[in-house]
Amino acid sequence: MNEIDQSHLLPYARRSDFKVGRASDLAGKDRRFFRFLEIVPGALSWTILIGMIVASIYAPFFAAYFIIAFSIYWVLKTLFLSYHVRYNWKRLKHHMKLDWQVLVRRFDYGHFYHLVIFPYYNEPLEVLDGALKGLLDAKYDPKKMIVVLAAEARGGQVAVDQAYVMEQKYKDCFGHFLVSVHPADTIGEIAGKGSNTHHALHQVHNEVIAKYDIPHKDIITSIFDVDTVIYPDYFNCLVWHFLTCENPYKSAFQPVPLFSNNLWDAPALSRVMAMSSTFWQMIMQERPEKSATFSSHSVSYQALYEIGYGQANVVSEDSRIYWNLLVANNGNFEVVPISYPISMDATVADSTWGTIKNIYKQHRRWTYGVENWCYIVYHFSKNKTIPLKKRLSIAALQGEGYSSLVTNPILLFILGWAPIFLGTREFHETVLSYELPIMVRNLLILAMGGLVVSSIISLSLTPPRPDGHSRFKYIVMVLQWIMVPITMVVFSALPGLDAQTRLMLGKYLGFWVTPKRIK
Amino acid sequence: MEHEPQIKLLPYKRRRSFFFVLLLIFIIALPIFIFYTSGYRLSFSDEQTTIVTTGGIYITNDNLEVDVYLDGEQVEKPRLFRSAYYIQNIENGLHRVVVQRPGLHAWVKVLPVDSYIVTEAAAFNMPELPHIRPIPEFTNQSGQGVYVVKGSTTTPLFTKGTTTGDFIVTNKVVPATLEKSSEYDYVVGLFASSSATSTSLLTRLEEELDKLSLATTTATTAKPLVYVEQGNMRLVEKGSELYATWIGSGQSTPHYFCTPQSATSTVALRLGIHVALQMDEQRLSTTSPLHTEGARICRTTIRVDRKWQDIKYYEFFPRSSDLVVLQLQDGLYVTEIDDRSWQNTQMIYPGDNFRTIVTDTNIYIEEDGKYFELMTKIDEAN
Repeated sequence: MNEIDQSHLLPYARRSDFKVGRASDLAGKDRRFFRFLEIVPGALSWTILIGMIVASIYAPFFAAYFIIAFSIYWVLKTLFLSYHVRYNWKRLKHHMKLDWQVLVRRFDYGHFYHLVIFPYYNEPLEVLDGALKGLLDAKYDPKKMIVVLAAEARGGQVAVDQAYVMEQKYKDCFGHFLVSVHPADTIGEIAGKGSNTHHALHQVHNEVIAKYDIPHKDIITSIFDVDTVIYPDYFNCLVWHFLTCENPYKSAFQPVPLFSNNLWDAPALSRVMAMSSTFWQMIMQERPEKSATFSSHSVSYQALYEIGYGQANVVSEDSRIYWNLLVANNGNFEVVPISYPISMDATVADSTWGTIKNIYKQHRRWTYGVENWCYIVYHFSKNKTIPLKKRLSIAALQGEGYSSLVTNPILLFILGWAPIFLGTREFHETVLSYELPIMVRNLLILAMGGLVVSSIISLSLTPPRPDGHSRFKYIVMVLQWIMVPITMVVFSALPGLDAQTRLMLGKYLGFWVTPKRIK
Repeated sequence: MEHEPQIKLLPYKRRRSFFFVLLLIFIIALPIFIFYTSGYRLSFSDEQTTIVTTGGIYITNDNLEVDVYLDGEQVEKPRLFRSAYYIQNIENGLHRVVVQRPGLHAWVKVLPVDSYIVTEAAAFNMPELPHIRPIPEFTNQSGQGVYVVKGSTTTPLFTKGTTTGDFIVTNKVVPATLEKSSEYDYVVGLFASSSATSTSLLTRLEEELDKLSLATTTATTAKPLVYVEQGNMRLVEKGSELYATWIGSGQSTPHYFCTPQSATSTVALRLGIHVALQMDEQRLSTTSPLHTEGARICRTTIRVDRKWQDIKYYEFFPRSSDLVVLQLQDGLYVTEIDDRSWQNTQMIYPGDNFRTIVTDTNIYIEEDGKYFELMTKIDEAN
């Protein structure tokens, strides 16, 4: 850990194991326990999947009843989640219509600074320029912004130089402008967004915040992917939520990520995955007690300072920082959903195969967030100050989430048919054997009704049609949702299983940078 | 308040209420769905609502567009897969199933249906009018088949059925431009190399016995068993009869070889007296004994119905181990091995003086020096 003076840290954040990334960071019993936790998710998923096959062979009647129960559960779950999506969609649309600049006037917020960090790797200059221009286009005083372009040394000198080009162009536009260069191959770190951000936060503390003596409590930190496009009222909306929430310094503020910057240029597969990710975040917006931060989000600088800026040794840093904050604050930290959009790129590549590979890798990185479950359970076993009910509830919810992400699509769309193919002759002769596929098919068709909701909402969140794109594409954008059963298996379940298996076998995943293209 | 967001976060209480409503639906729906898929149904007959147990019938058929009737009533949308039909909600007992289509022989069977169990059957529907694909000896330069005849070219060459394929008839001297058909040579070769005969099994048996009595040697050698095989099914001649024998593993014995373990009288009622008699016969047999598989008892041999005629030729139907091609005295038939209630036997070519060869994929006939293929699917023939 980089901190020498730990006096500013919360007591729990001073522990040597507070920023544990993997089992090898620990020793003795703790190491064995953490390693056990790393094995659990993958082992559980494989046990469920293999168990389904074994049950289909040796206990097909039980397997068939389980599949019926599971299919009913799936229909109801779809209904449950669709309800949340629809509700959040209404709230999101409402928030987008509000004039937040007017809403925040009743507060005294002029002393607040927005620290905006854009970590990047080797994205083109146009992407950096777009991100910074987006900040200037926001309805917020840019002089109240501290902008950090966080470059990666391993991205090459050309990529680093781009930051200085941007600094020359924009330094006078914002209150403060800093270029930080994260050195390559730092021991104890995983190369990636997390370590880059961690380094940038240290540097901005030394070179701006401490230097200009800006009170930590007056800084709201937003860590954005470099392809993030800010909606005009984002900072006003953020300030409003910051000033109206119960405990602003113990809260993380989560916008709705729309992966829609390039939606009209992205293939259907990419659009479905992008919107599916957005929908999941919309659902989580209505269930804040079950969620964690994801992708671009905002949090008080004070909170970050108290935990030493999160971890530089994990892949899923965007969520881990929330768990760091929760654990360090003895469970007294929450996600405040602001139901206001920010826009990023949908994953694309130059070829269809390239797009498929990129989506797979991106989702493997996201589902590698299962490493957070190990962290949560490990620290829940250590930090007994957190109420037991809360510890159990979070651990169970997160565990169920990661397990169902991997197993549900495979059980539903592939192994649901296993008893029919693997069952005994006695089973094959029964009405149950014949009725099972009909029943499952009908229930899945019913569940597909949720996709109608999805297609309507996705159309309403689609950016205006640019010139050169046919109206016919709207029809494609509706029909594309029939791909969901496939995308759920290929781009959710399989990358999730891949990630969990790697963690289980100790073949830890590194950070994979999603390629950004010039639009 | 107009300067405040009007839509608040979805209240936790409402979410929890919705969750419990869905949980309640799940708890109620699960047993209903499980009972339904297991075969339980609500019956509203006799002004009383009762729960009845049902079974089903599953019929496979190679023809795509057929009508299926159950106990005289057409079954609506019974299709489950491309070539399979599943009839649900059938009460216990015997049920008459008819699978038919205009232009095809009807397949009719009375099948027993038990609660919770699906009775399987493989229906087949052969064309009523033979569909012939001629195989001429020659082809012209454009690939057209050419028949060279001695008499009038207007006399139909094939009178027993419709023909398919392009061919011409000529009575001129074979022009030098004509080529010998390779298919014709292949088919002629098939007939030349096979023991295809228009002599019946009975006649051949009598000939064998004559040879035996005239033999000068006293040594007797066991006559090798004459049979043909398709997969794990074997057709065996025994005297003038033909038997289908399952030679595969017990577990994979086709369903029509087996019955639930029950009294002979029950078997007779469910599947026919002939099945009960065969079961009894094989119960005592040392060569083809019955074997038990779980709750069912299985034969290994089923007699093929020859309609009281002599069998001249037999072979498995192309790509099938459930159907047999039989050349009887009055024509060529396809019959099923499944003898529950009876064996459906459908004539596919009439006549008493032709020779037949069945390969893995085709049925060839030689009649009056002409060779042709017999098409068994209307769709293929059209």
